[in-house]
Amino acid sequence: MTPLAPTPITLALPKGRIFEESIELLARAGLPLSLPEKSRALQWKMGHVTLLELRNQDVPVYVDLGIADAGIVGKDVLAESGRSIYEPLDLNFSHCRLSLIREVGATGPVHRVASKYPRLSAAYLSGRGLSAEIVRLSGNIELAALTGLADAVVDLVQTGSTLKANNLEELDVILRSSARLVVNRTALKLKRSELRPLIANLRELVAVNGKLAAPARG
Amino acid sequence: MFSPPPINHQQARMILPQGTRDVLPPEWAWREHLRGKVAAQFSSWGYQGVELPALELQNPQHPQDSRAFKLIDSGGEVLALRSEFTTAVQRLVRLRFPGGPFPLRLQYGGRLWLRSQASELGRLREFTQLGVELIGVSTPQADAELLALSLSTLQAVGVRAQLEVGHPGFLDALLEDAGLPDTLKGQLHDVLDRKSGPDLSALLASAGLGGELERTLSVVNELYGGPEVLAQARRLPLGMRAAAALAHLEQVAELFGQERLLFDLGMSRRYLYYSGFTFRAYAEGSPRQILGGGRYDSPNYDSPDGAAQGGLSGAGFALGLERLTEVAARHLPPEPEVVLALDTAGAEHARSLGLIAEGCWTGDLGELARYAALRGIRRTVRGTGFGTLAELTGAGEATA
Repeated sequence: MTPLAPTPITLALPKGRIFEESIELLARAGLPLSLPEKSRALQWKMGHVTLLELRNQDVPVYVDLGIADAGIVGKDVLAESGRSIYEPLDLNFSHCRLSLIREVGATGPVHRVASKYPRLSAAYLSGRGLSAEIVRLSGNIELAALTGLADAVVDLVQTGSTLKANNLEELDVILRSSARLVVNRTALKLKRSELRPLIANLRELVAVNGKLAAPARG
Repeated sequence: MFSPPPINHQQARMILPQGTRDVLPPEWAWREHLRGKVAAQFSSWGYQGVELPALELQNPQHPQDSRAFKLIDSGGEVLALRSEFTTAVQRLVRLRFPGGPFPLRLQYGGRLWLRSQASELGRLREFTQLGVELIGVSTPQADAELLALSLSTLQAVGVRAQLEVGHPGFLDALLEDAGLPDTLKGQLHDVLDRKSGPDLSALLASAGLGGELERTLSVVNELYGGPEVLAQARRLPLGMRAAAALAHLEQVAELFGQERLLFDLGMSRRYLYYSGFTFRAYAEGSPRQILGGGRYDSPNYDSPDGAAQGGLSGAGFALGLERLTEVAARHLPPEPEVVLALDTAGAEHARSLGLIAEGCWTGDLGELARYAALRGIRRTVRGTGFGTLAELTGAGEATA
């Protein structure tokens, strides 16, 4: 143990599989963390680290407002949030891509696009000089293309098997996403004694992992 | 762009526009106390006060134009609600002090309005800033004075703060010297402003750039921390402008004391008018910066060709009164006791002792006792004699 008491830090992590992967990675980077027992708790204190378990869309909010000093969140969610927080590392797990999807063979004009990512969808469309109405939905986005709610959808694709099973095809990749380490603007400066070594350790781990398992990035 | 549906104010029973708030009694007193302390501190360093109109003529060149509230004047001209002070002070100086004498030290305070501010924790759309401008000089001594003044002002209101300095001209020069197209420079500014290592690599790769530029920018992305940052920066391949920016920063740090500063050389321009040295203060235990400022050259947005037409160099800083109120509240002196004055002589006597005296508006002692209990008043005063609340109505009755 270090002779100096470490600065307390608060980390925001998204629920689900990424929560477990994040804890494992952070523990290997030297934080005193272990996977908490299943319980109804929403936050845990382990040594000098407080963990908050959040919905992934809320991670950028907690970090931007400084309730959490740092967090882990997918690039897709971070970009959609539009929040300008520090983003020092690609953690190279939880890969997926945000794509434009239509029914196989659809050729008509795109007037309406459904998505859980209205901001990124709008930016993508306007970047291509297209004007289409954006419909914000919360789940099973593909259904919007199949039922005629929308002419196309913008959604996450991991393996593409859902698309195949539903006669849908991926026409364009808008964004390649993976888990990112994000840091509050003030915390990076004031808690740098704690955060800089953490970032350095994570960078090393990610580099080693990247060499072992070929990254799924194209 | 996705936009939320218009709010039906009547249906939502909204009483105040979003991002605005009422200031209630105990907080109002803290605000005024802080405002007075800060203004007195600025004054004692020679900064004279000016008052600026909250209504301005709308100008598309104004750095905050896209975020400002707009109004239509009676003749059809567009007006803007004041959205930042520096541009307004520059206008005032050009108009009222064309010949100086320089350096001109001015202080201001007042409300600002931003239309597009997200309304959440501490980000109001109507807010108050107090600040200073040191105009007509651009020496490192002037910058060091502003650092010293900002720290002593925060100390005067009991805030422990850490100053951080940067120089957007440094990053600007590096990108300029690399001869990059404007769009790419803009994207790089954005990426470096977020210190996004992954986006930086991806952007350079997609632009077919790598080698020395990538190595340099990756180092710049990490150039934050203590004075060791300056030495790391000096080892980079720097052009003349970048080297000059770094040298200026080193001189300022030397004058102020570099061990008392944090540095961030990856700091990008967040306001277009800060061309030189910039700084900010972080208050202990507060997640956002409490004060920010910097140096600018000639933002003469009223003239068609800007700098050529009598622009002025200057530097200044502003602090947010709402954030200061949150952070400094713990350090405030206790309020004097409030007493109920039963006659004029009693009121004068109590006030002469530094107490707050409220007068009687009725002869109904029960009513007075009820009010005093609600208001937290425990003593009465008549002439030069103090009494208890219980004595007012006879024992026991005053507890209603």
